[in-house]
Amino acid sequence: MIPQSARFRPANRNVLRLLSGHCLMALSLAILVLAAYAEPSAADSLEVELGRRIYREGILPSGSPLKGLRLGSIEVEGAAAACETCHRSSGMGSLEGNIVAPPITGRFLFATEDNRPTALVDVSAPKNVTRAHTPYTEQSLAKAIREGVNVGGRQMSPLMPHYVLNDAEIKAVTAYLRQLSKDLSPGVGDDTLHFATVVAPGVDPNQRKVMEDMMRAAFSQRNASQQNYSGRMRMPIDLIPRTLRNWELTVWELQGAPETWGAQLRENYRRQPVFAVISGLSNTTWAPVHEFCSQEKLPCLLPSVPLPPAETAFYPLYYSRGVALEADVLASHLRKQDNKATRRLVQVYRDDEVGRGAAQALTAALRDSDIKLEDRVLSGQNPSALKEALTGLSGQDTLMLWLRPSDLAAVGKTVKQAPERAYVSGFLAEDDYGVISKDWAPRVRVIYPYEMGDKRQKTLKLLNAWLKTWSLPLVDETFQSEVFFNLLFITDLTSQMLDNLYRDYMVERAEDMMSLGSNVSAYPHLSMARGQRFASKGAYFARIDQDGQLAADSEWIVP
Amino acid sequence: MLLNIMKIRSNTATFNRNKLRNHWTIILAFLTVCLQTEAYADSNPESSTASPKYTRSEAVYSLPNIEMLRHDQVKTRFPQELDDGRPVILNFIFTTCSAICPMLSGVLSGVQNKLGDEIQGMHLVSISIDPEYDNAERLKEYAAKFKAKPQWQFYSGSVDNVKTLQKAFNAYRGDKMNHSATTYLRASPGKPWVRLDGFLSSDDIIAEYHRLKSSHSSNTGGG
Ligand code: HEC
Repeated sequence: MIPQSARFRPANRNVLRLLSGHCLMALSLAILVLAAYAEPSAADSLEVELGRRIYREGILPSGSPLKGLRLGSIEVEGAAAACETCHRSSGMGSLEGNIVAPPITGRFLFATEDNRPTALVDVSAPKNVTRAHTPYTEQSLAKAIREGVNVGGRQMSPLMPHYVLNDAEIKAVTAYLRQLSKDLSPGVGDDTLHFATVVAPGVDPNQRKVMEDMMRAAFSQRNASQQNYSGRMRMPIDLIPRTLRNWELTVWELQGAPETWGAQLRENYRRQPVFAVISGLSNTTWAPVHEFCSQEKLPCLLPSVPLPPAETAFYPLYYSRGVALEADVLASHLRKQDNKATRRLVQVYRDDEVGRGAAQALTAALRDSDIKLEDRVLSGQNPSALKEALTGLSGQDTLMLWLRPSDLAAVGKTVKQAPERAYVSGFLAEDDYGVISKDWAPRVRVIYPYEMGDKRQKTLKLLNAWLKTWSLPLVDETFQSEVFFNLLFITDLTSQMLDNLYRDYMVERAEDMMSLGSNVSAYPHLSMARGQRFASKGAYFARIDQDGQLAADSEWIVP
Repeated sequence: MLLNIMKIRSNTATFNRNKLRNHWTIILAFLTVCLQTEAYADSNPESSTASPKYTRSEAVYSLPNIEMLRHDQVKTRFPQELDDGRPVILNFIFTTCSAICPMLSGVLSGVQNKLGDEIQGMHLVSISIDPEYDNAERLKEYAAKFKAKPQWQFYSGSVDNVKTLQKAFNAYRGDKMNHSATTYLRASPGKPWVRLDGFLSSDDIIAEYHRLKSSHSSNTGGG
């Protein structure tokens, strides 16, 4: 097997590496050798790499920052001037307000009548697609970049800076644009679009089945609707011509220790490259999947996992920071109380990935505060372990229970007398509050990352109707709403992408679109933007009422 | 737009089962349709702000009484925060906005620098329309990036408060991604706001500001 690094590092990077080392000799040799093979020559690759630095980083070949002018006087410089800020890394452009930064890849700039691609410019006006224009030449492109005059002779929006670039630099940018988003991403077949979902070991088989059934139902529904393309109720967006592709789903079921997941994922991917990984399930770590996605440059959208890696990357997107978010919400709440309220906070957690992750997050969030934090770790199933963990508590202590329902049920049985206040993780409690004992319930506050009550029922109406239609069970509302939102979201994204099926474009669209669609999830609202990787950013404190239901006990808290 | 969403929502509720089963796209319909809005009918690449011209209008806005968090972590009350007597230049931004906001902020940065000592008695106000992400810390970083002087302050708040405030300024467009480039000037509390839509250079804003001040002082005989 070819090693990962060799397969995915673009050749041009290697060229630059040669340059930056002390082997110019090797470079000229390489140019000679490669030139003989013509395609792509090292000289071309070098030009593309220089163009990449201008486009992505705003750095000129000389090493000095890229400079542009706006409205005659406002300078933009360096990274802030990089073409990528507006035209994005895919080159497919962006829309902010009513200002369009159009696609500027070679396919779009130099297109002639017979090979003109189309992109949707504005989802709010589905008829609004990229306009046909006279193909750019190198000359007219230079004029657009330097003087802000487009190929039609129009002075463009002041948002597009006028750049100070010499001929060689313009050539480099042009070379970069010519190869940018030239080929469709892996996982896109002539008539098939491949997706995968990932299931980590140890997941409840029922939950896994529910997810898979929902996804398969949505896929077949979507594929069927594509067959009935002549149906009456079509959206304006469907009138834009595009290649019809059937969606196909593969389930990647992981086994064994997390250290081995990477290899399993790569093997699965080798067998069937996919365009994106959607949803997914784990009740332990997700880090190896996250890493795989960033290495493979594979969008991994919105898995249902309690502990996403803290370190973010471009390709994996999440609903929230999971238990780490809850830790921050609790810490910010406790810090705001007057000192006397919480003397000692005892956190109880299982000795597993998620338990440790949550505990670490809370420890970090309370650093330098007056609150004394004490850890009590549970391991094994022995009831005495829990008893031990809960010994020596006084009525004035505050508890944080990072526990799942089976452990929560045991808590009330082990210690009859509840402390002054016990916080419970909403992510881990799985909406199962009936297990909390009568003595404890009034003292418990759930850190709850979802919407509650009528508002929630309203947003979940569509999910319920859809599940009924497909005779699918509702077993876990919050989790199933995540899967449902994701399925709608991805349908929406891909349909807006038309035939421009590039993975980075998908992520860029996802960032911009997250808050624009209707929210059918259990979260109060979802929103992202460039560089943001977590769609929901807060939680409520909730109390448990007589019939085991939650009721808000605070505002929505964003730490 | 909101109305539109509500209309579509109730439409989806009345879909019958068969339709639901047969047309996936119908379920999705509302996702796309609800985003259609007349207001942006002109947002195609050929017609969008082709020239640096801007429009100027005057309006009296009645501002809500709400709490907003300043980038120095101080909780403030609006509209009092804007009503301390100083002239105000105000805009809406968010820190992860890639195209419009850096430009608006770059322009304001130019304004504070070019005004020299005149900035002393003024209040520059930037309000985040992505308040859940833009906490005080992130706003502080953003302020530093644009070398904001003490007179230039950044505000965040709850989603609802920020929405109310945007609505009060007739700047609410349903989502942060739809926001437009608008700058507001006001000479003093109780005076109308001057609303400038479009891309202005720092010099444009300073000229508008001076024009406002001189008309204000000639109207009121100074003060
Ligand atoms: C701050 C945002 C921004 C940055 C940075 C930016 N552009 Fe643009 N660009 C725009 C906008 C907005 C337009 C459309 C303007 C119009 O049509 O009025 C545009 C238009 C263009 C066009 C014309 C496309 C067409 O279809 O006619 C080209 C070419 C272009 N940009 C190239 C570049 C290059 C190359 C860079 C980097 C060196 C760059 N842009 C950086 C915002 C930006």
